[in-house]
Amino acid sequence: MIRVDSLTKQYGDFAAVKDVSFTCRPGRVTGFLGPNGAGKTTTMRVMVGLTPATAGEVTIGGHHYRDIPNPGRHVGVLLDASAQHAGRTGREILTLGAKLMGLPLSRVDEMLALVSLSDLEATRRLRDYSLGMRQRLGIAHALLGDPSVLILDEPANGLDPAGIRWMRGLLKDYADRGGTVLLSSHLLNEVELIADEMILIGRGQIVASGTKQELLAGRAGGATHVTALDLASLSSALEAGGFAVSAAGEGLRVETDPVQVGRVAADKQLVLTDLRPAEGGLENLFLELTADTQRESITAEEVAV
Amino acid sequence: MTAVAADPTPTIDLSSTSQVPFGRLVSVELRKMYDTRAGFWLLALTGALIALALGIPLIVLALTDETISANTWGQIMTAPVSLLVPVLAITSVTSEWSQRTGLVSFTLEPHRMRVVWAKFVTVLLLALATVALAVALGALGNIVGAAVSGIDPVWDMEAGTLAWTVLTQVAYFSMAFAFGLTLLSTPAAVAVYYIVAMLLPFMVYGALYGFFAWARDIIPWIDLGFATSVFTTGEETDTTDLMRVIVTVLIWVVLPFVLGLRRVARAELK
Repeated sequence: MIRVDSLTKQYGDFAAVKDVSFTCRPGRVTGFLGPNGAGKTTTMRVMVGLTPATAGEVTIGGHHYRDIPNPGRHVGVLLDASAQHAGRTGREILTLGAKLMGLPLSRVDEMLALVSLSDLEATRRLRDYSLGMRQRLGIAHALLGDPSVLILDEPANGLDPAGIRWMRGLLKDYADRGGTVLLSSHLLNEVELIADEMILIGRGQIVASGTKQELLAGRAGGATHVTALDLASLSSALEAGGFAVSAAGEGLRVETDPVQVGRVAADKQLVLTDLRPAEGGLENLFLELTADTQRESITAEEVAV
Repeated sequence: MTAVAADPTPTIDLSSTSQVPFGRLVSVELRKMYDTRAGFWLLALTGALIALALGIPLIVLALTDETISANTWGQIMTAPVSLLVPVLAITSVTSEWSQRTGLVSFTLEPHRMRVVWAKFVTVLLLALATVALAVALGALGNIVGAAVSGIDPVWDMEAGTLAWTVLTQVAYFSMAFAFGLTLLSTPAAVAVYYIVAMLLPFMVYGALYGFFAWARDIIPWIDLGFATSVFTTGEETDTTDLMRVIVTVLIWVVLPFVLGLRRVARAELK
């Protein structure tokens, strides 16, 4: 539904986005993940025609954004929840949007209810809103026109854990009804919680993409965290099988896939109480893939520990 | 929701929607002028200024033997409605940048020039409304003032003078709007507007005009107020006077307007 094709955006000598291509499909929530300044926002701004591309193009549902009449009815956009007039009330901000798109004003109340902003909160001015409330209002604004595509820049920023869970439910539900969602974040766990697919970007270039499973599968030397009733026996059985084992918390860290550990345990008829990929597998991958693009110079070795 | 998940290359069907009508853009822009606290107080203060402008001449009339005709009343009442309201013409553009609402305005209507022209129409409407209000209040002042002085009211405002008052008001509001477009900054545009429209004419040009012959030759060619005053006060005028209006409008309205349109078309919204 969203198709980014060889997109490049150059500011003088600096390339904010370099030859980026990806697609976002309907029925899926696509996470756009990368450190600050990686080019996420620039890419999204080009998508909605606020910034002209230097090369390449973006189409949404086969159209350039500029050619979509009354675009709010087709594409919901939230680029910055604070980019609203500080002196307007929440309700007024939605009312302006509804009027412009030609929607009945009942839509404003529906959206306020959807994002759980109370009548009292809706009459307060934006300057008095917390970041979390601004994000909710921004999502309400993006959904006003009942669009089939959502483009959200850092929508979970400022939301508390309950708010992030709420947004996951909202976006999943939206995607299940056939909607296309692209959301960006610099925080892996936000994207991990909400998105079905991920696109990792670092220093203006795509470094990896796919589902969480696909991303981890392609990674050599995945580690496993395992806990068993008889840890000593499991440890020696694994070592006998040639796997590197180390103590980790209440259990063991084994330098192999969970399935290998499970096989060993089954052979020896050992009872496992916990078996899962080692914590931070995706986080390590993320840091590794974007290591040379980070401001903090984290080496791949440090990351692997 | 029109998307179909199974379609491998899904497209959006645009046949059900048409472009946002221009009238709707105008009505939304009009609403944006007064729905903020700043807009509200600007209009409220203007109301207070109007009360002052209406009250003070009436007190003068009551205490002295002076009389004021309808034309003078109209001119008096134009001052309070012209003092603060041009700021709305400026912030209508600049707040899109300073408050960053342009991110929303220009995604809901990606054709920026349509938004800008809609804003300009609201500015024109605002200018017309201020003159209408000034004339209505001037008429009221004329009736009450005549009663206070104990004379019959003098209705001496001619259509030509009124038309020039409207044109001058439109020119000033357009100038404010054009400064907003060019500078894209509220404080800068407001400062430049008040320097050009009020400070220079009253503090500098006025004194020079009074003392030096060369100033009387030059100033009407570079100041909108001096160029138009002969028309709005209903004096005898010739082609040179008209040329002066055209030249000052070109300098202070058309030039910044064109530069501003180019800037808005290209400016990035951060």
